[in-house]
Amino acid sequence: MNIRIALSLTGLLAALALHASTALPAKRPAGPVLLRGGEVHPVIGAVLPKADVLLMDGKIARIGPKLSAPAGAEVVDVTGQRIYPGFIIANTTLGLEEIGAVRASVDSSEYGPINPNVRAQAAFNPDSEMIPVARVNGVLTACATPVAANEGQPVPGLLAGTSSLMRLDGWTWEEMTLRPTVGLQLFWPAPVPAQRGPAPAPGALEETRKRYADQVKLIRQAFANARAYLRAKDAAGGHPAETDLRWEAMLPALRGEQPVFIHADDIKQIAAVLDWAREEPGLKLVLVGGRDAWRAADRLKAANIPVIIDGTTPLPARRDDGYDAVYANAGKLHAAGVKFCISESTNESGGPTNARNLPYEAAMAASYGLPADEALKAITIYPAEILGVAAELGSIEVGKRATLIVTDGDPLEIPTQVKQAYIDGARIDLRTRQTDLYDKYRQR
Amino acid sequence: MKFFPVRIAKQVAAWSLTLAAGFNLAGVAATRTTTTPVVGLRDASPRVHALVGGRIVMAPGKVIERGTLVLRDGVVAAVGPDVAVPADARVWDVTGCTLYPGFIESHSSLLLPEALRPPGATARAEGAERPRPAAPAMPVVGARAANPRIMPEKDVLNQLTPDPKGVEKFRALGFTVANIAPERGIFRGSSALVSLGTWDVNSSVVRAAADQEVVFEIGSYESFTYPTSLMGAIALIRQTLLDAQWYAATQAAYANHAGQGVERPEVNESLAALGPVVAGRQLAMFQLDDELDAARVLRLADEFKLKVALRGVGTEYRVRQELARAKVPVVIPLDFPEAPEVESPDRAVDVQLHELEQWDLAPSNAARLAEAGVTFAFTTSRLRKPETEFWPRLRRAVRRGLTEDQALAALTTVPAAIFGISATQGTLDVGHAGNVVVARGDLFKADDAVIELVWVDGDPYEQEAWQRLDLSGAWQVTWTGVKGPAELAISGRGGRLRVKAGEKSGSASQPDRRSVLMQLPAEVFGSASLTTSGSTSLTAGGSTGLTTGGTARLAASGEGDDLSGTGELPDGTSFRWTAHRSAAAKAEEPAATRDEPIATGDRYPAGAFGRKGPPAQPEHVLITHGTVWTSGPAGVIEDGDVLIERGRIVQVGRKLVAPAGALVIDARGKHVTAGIIDCHSHIAISRGVNEGGSAVSLEVRIGDVIDPTDISLYRDLAGGTTVLNILHGSANPMGGQNQVIKIRWGEDAEGLKFAGAKPGVKFALGENVVRAHSLAPVRTRYPVSRMGVPEIMHDVFNRAREYERTWADYRAGRSVLPPRRDLRLEAALEILNRDRIIHIHSYRSDEVLTFIRLADQLHLPVATFQHILEGYKVAPEIAKLGAGGSTFADWWAYKFEVYDGIPYNGALMARAGIVVSYNSDSADLSRRLNTEAAKAVKYGGVSPVNALDFVTINPARQLQIDQRVGSLEPGKAADFVIWNGSPLSTMAHPEQTWIDGRKYFDRDDDLRMRAEAAAERSALLQKALAERRKAVARGPAAESAGDSSDGGGPKPPGAATDDHDEYRAIYHNGADAHTCMQEEGGLQ
Repeated sequence: MNIRIALSLTGLLAALALHASTALPAKRPAGPVLLRGGEVHPVIGAVLPKADVLLMDGKIARIGPKLSAPAGAEVVDVTGQRIYPGFIIANTTLGLEEIGAVRASVDSSEYGPINPNVRAQAAFNPDSEMIPVARVNGVLTACATPVAANEGQPVPGLLAGTSSLMRLDGWTWEEMTLRPTVGLQLFWPAPVPAQRGPAPAPGALEETRKRYADQVKLIRQAFANARAYLRAKDAAGGHPAETDLRWEAMLPALRGEQPVFIHADDIKQIAAVLDWAREEPGLKLVLVGGRDAWRAADRLKAANIPVIIDGTTPLPARRDDGYDAVYANAGKLHAAGVKFCISESTNESGGPTNARNLPYEAAMAASYGLPADEALKAITIYPAEILGVAAELGSIEVGKRATLIVTDGDPLEIPTQVKQAYIDGARIDLRTRQTDLYDKYRQR
Repeated sequence: MKFFPVRIAKQVAAWSLTLAAGFNLAGVAATRTTTTPVVGLRDASPRVHALVGGRIVMAPGKVIERGTLVLRDGVVAAVGPDVAVPADARVWDVTGCTLYPGFIESHSSLLLPEALRPPGATARAEGAERPRPAAPAMPVVGARAANPRIMPEKDVLNQLTPDPKGVEKFRALGFTVANIAPERGIFRGSSALVSLGTWDVNSSVVRAAADQEVVFEIGSYESFTYPTSLMGAIALIRQTLLDAQWYAATQAAYANHAGQGVERPEVNESLAALGPVVAGRQLAMFQLDDELDAARVLRLADEFKLKVALRGVGTEYRVRQELARAKVPVVIPLDFPEAPEVESPDRAVDVQLHELEQWDLAPSNAARLAEAGVTFAFTTSRLRKPETEFWPRLRRAVRRGLTEDQALAALTTVPAAIFGISATQGTLDVGHAGNVVVARGDLFKADDAVIELVWVDGDPYEQEAWQRLDLSGAWQVTWTGVKGPAELAISGRGGRLRVKAGEKSGSASQPDRRSVLMQLPAEVFGSASLTTSGSTSLTAGGSTGLTTGGTARLAASGEGDDLSGTGELPDGTSFRWTAHRSAAAKAEEPAATRDEPIATGDRYPAGAFGRKGPPAQPEHVLITHGTVWTSGPAGVIEDGDVLIERGRIVQVGRKLVAPAGALVIDARGKHVTAGIIDCHSHIAISRGVNEGGSAVSLEVRIGDVIDPTDISLYRDLAGGTTVLNILHGSANPMGGQNQVIKIRWGEDAEGLKFAGAKPGVKFALGENVVRAHSLAPVRTRYPVSRMGVPEIMHDVFNRAREYERTWADYRAGRSVLPPRRDLRLEAALEILNRDRIIHIHSYRSDEVLTFIRLADQLHLPVATFQHILEGYKVAPEIAKLGAGGSTFADWWAYKFEVYDGIPYNGALMARAGIVVSYNSDSADLSRRLNTEAAKAVKYGGVSPVNALDFVTINPARQLQIDQRVGSLEPGKAADFVIWNGSPLSTMAHPEQTWIDGRKYFDRDDDLRMRAEAAAERSALLQKALAERRKAVARGPAAESAGDSSDGGGPKPPGAATDDHDEYRAIYHNGADAHTCMQEEGGLQ
């Protein structure tokens, strides 16, 4: 990226941010809403062909036929329409990146290899134009995730930071935060160059192997230091002489309170992660990426490690892999009994620009072996479970957050429109920068 | 003048014949005439030699079982079974040996000075030919080609640098002549054939200007020096050859008109040097990077009527039929890959089937070429250690079915013919150069065969093995001072001796010709106190002796059948011994005589998913009862039928009747659509999507560099895509010529091309073109702003019009000197004349409108605006121009100029009357454009039928191929897809994809191919494992012990190794981004 251009664009972007789309955050607290007569897809349990859903105090208060509307409730007739829980994108840089090629608008990775202490929440831009665009296809909750930096620094990122679970409505990141820290994000290094293109220069392979070994050593050191820090802190009655922000941030993971999300696509990385997992008992591990996870389905099942599949449409990793190797990944994990969910792949378009296509990523898996109801779960209740918020999100159940969508059809099919969306019981504005431009230029 | 040395040689040859006939008994040795001053005393040693008693292979297939060869003053003076030994000859007893004509090394960097080697070449491993970054541009000095990589005027002749040690190494392998080739540049200059004796350079040159070396050498994208891509290199070669033709013509014309008001034309040493090449007189030796390059070279050769030969990489068998048809000779290497590391299952998945196949088949390359009738010669180049690797590998090629005669020819008569030196080299005919190889054992089959003598220009070069005591056999031993075994049996030859005393075995080596060192287990010796003198009365001791452990050392020297020497036991006791050979060793049987590969290599492309020939084209195909999306006026036909005859659609409707014998496809419950057309793709391109070396690169052609082996093609078929518009990238305002293809998977590059598709060209606006060189240390490339873009375009078009006038003037006789042909401007002129249509990468409305106004002014044929994410802002203007819009369904915000990209763009442009298509620009999206089309329904309310048009008939219209493809209508090609549901459904996928009435994809066939590939893979993995076990057991020690069975030596699994490059995937692995936005050099 040309620095000069980047700098000159900074000002422009600042201006653009002021002109964020006309969509307004929802008014809160929201009054009660009764969705009348919809086809309710609770995800857990059978479809209710015609039922009412009552949203009160941000929660789903009641579900059933012919509910009576409480005083002051807005009654919305959704006859002929369907109600689904909002989709959850489990691994995204939404809010952290605006324009991939404009460095000044990208805040998804920090300098250096070991950054467990940085939190996604801190840089989550509530006015990102990507957010309303994601919402129009039903993506209402996002786990904003720091990523490992690979360019412009001597050692690539390893512990990239801690992810934050965000609801996609609010004036500030604080209002939008559901969980400030969901889990550590560990990016497992690549044992050999991911691409097997032109022949490596003499010594390059050996160099790569050494670099890999060095990086794994850094990971081991970080966990060893953090464990030592934990012991020292416990020994000091919870008040260590000096605070180390990095190891402090790792304590929830070491105590097994929060998962460690390990990003690994290649089978060699996954095998290395499984080896490492035996060295670090007591950690709750989640595999992220998992392009080759189907090759290790039995091992993942045995180790009880869930997988966040980073999209179903990346290209097969190898020439000999079946053309549908990645499409069919989820179906194979499901068949093997591995816990999984599907996230949006960011492989080619880069960044979070098309988080909105999450339901179609799930549908692709359904086209290649995953049962359709599982595809729906893979972007609702399963990510909620893996992210540890299944008690609040991921299905239409009484007591859960009233974060849901109303559609005119199957949301996994592209032509289907999301007609309404509610986050914590408040109806959200579905206008976007894109609909604004559409409305503007339709006038021409 | 260039061939002067050859003429001399011929004269000498004629003279020798006379000598042989008339004076062979009384010849007087003559000192060779050289211009080099004598230093000290002149060497006047006689140069008359008679090689007596050997088997003489005069030429492949021409053998004298026992005869005499006489060399006199550097040439063969006589040869035959009954030739008398001249009285003045030094006699060499070569009984038991075989004599061959001296071998010719077809490609070598011996004697090459630093200036003609690639930078850093001396630092590389000895003898290794590793891929390396191409040479950076050197500054241009002198009246020569403007491009620093064009240096045909270089000539190794005036740069040859003595290298006695290097020469000695190659001579030891039997090479007596080598073709020394320069190693820098695209046109690299002339090679020279040099004999590998010890004469001065002048006397050693066999032929100057043997060939002109040509290599598709490119700079990295970041070097910004033209060319940065293979297509650029080919375009530059094409332009340079045209320039050479022009240069000759214009110099000739000027010679006739000098002083008559004609301005003096330029002088150009490079173009002058190419004269013999374009006249077809000098051989052009093209170095291939992979076997796909062969077809590229042959097309150039055909276009310019060049005399060419190819230097291969070891995969030429994959294109052997094409090579045989073209009758082009090939120089092939013997750098067979080592068995891949497959011990770890998780790592082995990275080794692809085509790599395993290549590992298995590489030794068969020569045999397969021979079988197909391809003429080939061997080279040691690309071997890391030719001195230990060459012969074992050549023998391996022989075990794969190459005959001895074929192998010999590839070292003698074939290279002699390729390089035009058959008159003096390649056979042992009388009068030919005195280049002879004397070998003991079967050189082409037996691993213990050795070369004992090499003669270069009639001078003897004794090798280590010459007159080395052959120790093999049974020896009766007499011990003095120790009780030892009565008999020692020694087997092997040279560095690989085994010695056995009864059941115990020891090791032996020959430190020099006459000596032997042995180590035996001490237990074979009895008590030292016993002094014995009889060899038969005492037997070896064993546990009863003094020595129960350790190793006894023996040293001896010998003559004929007698050895005498000393020894020492572990306890320090010394002794003496003598031995007499009682029986000679039985001749060692050559190991396996035949070694067959497992892989058949009969698929194209090689590896998984390749085909064994085109799919059948049934006379008639009837699709019945499907939901037929015609993409034509008939719309969607429920319960519809499609009738196909010999690859064409003949009827579409309901209740069609199947002709007799028709293949009927029951499509009940299925959907049928036309094949999907991707109007923007960068897959299947070899070595560079962008020619980044110039802002204007209209002369480069994607059609020159189509890679039919890219697995992305097959993956596209599996997604229902049948036609691709393969475009140059977007680094340049005026990029390169595109190529429309049909994905006839399994065909070669020519077979993929969509014949008759309207020629096109890629232009580009916006960030990419103004930022293309943003990584360069200094931004020197115009333009760097959107203001400059239309200016450079306008300027090029102006020049093109002037170019047209220049030619018109010349043709009308208004000028004298022939104009230079300029392929760049000719392409621009084709555009101006509307014979070449423009596909222009564009985003922002301002730049689009500016270009529209330029197009208006120059009446440019604009077929499509590509990407055109702000097309909706200037839709009326685009519609008025008549251009199409080929856009993304929903990509946006990946860079600043697409922040206003909206998914409604397609619908809005369509509403304005623009023909709209959705494209991929990616190997991924190209596999699933059907669901991209569905986004037109979602965003903007396009009807499902019209939405599918976005990926079928509309791109066909944009590419002006809509009369042939794009819809299911009578008369069109039978390109169709059968889906298991609505093509717009995310839950649907293709079950079959047909092109020209041939089924190129079938999900069931695909699963079968996977099973076949898995089976072949398992077999090859087992074979590789077995070889790995052997090799790892042998260990690196094998190498130092002189074990020549394999060069570099295997590494145990997980050990540090760089050998991976041996399995370099020359095939696309399909994982590349393949987008014009995420291009090398940081273009986004």
